[in-house]
Amino acid sequence: MADDNDSQDAVRIERSFDAPVDLIWQMWTDPEHFAAWYGPDGSTIPVARMDVRVGGTRLVCMEMQTPNGPMQMWFTGEYRDVIENERLVYTESMSDENGNVMTASDLNMPDDHPTTTEVRVELEEVGGRTKMVMTHAGIPADSPGAAGWTMALDELAARVEAHTNR
Amino acid sequence: MTIDDDRLSETFAALANSTRRSILARLARGAATVNELAEPFEMTLPAISKHIKALERAGLVVRGQRAQYRPCALDAAPLEEVSTWAEQYRPVWEGRFDRMDDYLRQLRPQRKTGEHDG
Repeated sequence: MADDNDSQDAVRIERSFDAPVDLIWQMWTDPEHFAAWYGPDGSTIPVARMDVRVGGTRLVCMEMQTPNGPMQMWFTGEYRDVIENERLVYTESMSDENGNVMTASDLNMPDDHPTTTEVRVELEEVGGRTKMVMTHAGIPADSPGAAGWTMALDELAARVEAHTNR
Repeated sequence: MTIDDDRLSETFAALANSTRRSILARLARGAATVNELAEPFEMTLPAISKHIKALERAGLVVRGQRAQYRPCALDAAPLEEVSTWAEQYRPVWEGRFDRMDDYLRQLRPQRKTGEHDG
């Protein structure tokens, strides 16, 4: 029963782009292209390292301007599925600048819980355009502290559910 | 179910703090007194009380009326509203893909020379 809840905790977005499928693939896998669109407004992506093969790692730095000066957030992950121009699946976790994943205890959580989300991109050429379906299971880690506390929230919600479903 | 935005913001604000999340995680196991909640933290009781008050305002914690101990208990109702979090992040991704679209437009003249229209 609980497994079915996973699908609720995901963002699924379908888009059609007026571009060939190989270019959309590059949007996700070429660091220069990726940095051009990924960051929220007012932020930059000073670092995007991508070893795009199954088991390869990624490291992305997002830099935001805040009233207290620039703030950097680092994200790491691993490529789980890489089928060129078709499917890209990678994990994402908050990390330090060396790609060391922040553990549950770093985030002050009582339990040793994984803090990883998964991004899945599926591409298909349709009539000269590219259809893209992006699914982010877990919580997008792109606002200050989002990954930390939203993962914590998941953990919390699971506990609450366990206690209220008696 | 309709979501009260202000209430939701308050819930998120209350949750955006690791100490308060830890307190809630502890309360998910059962009600506790302020003293018990303070135990794992290197914080003064007034500091912990402040966190608990924030959780009370967000409707996440209710306190018993027994004058002496006033045990804290979790109220999960606001969390159920927050559980639609995924939809909150949809605009972030939509924004990204809007930018991808714009960026693709910028690239187009380089890829297909002679196709400037306007």
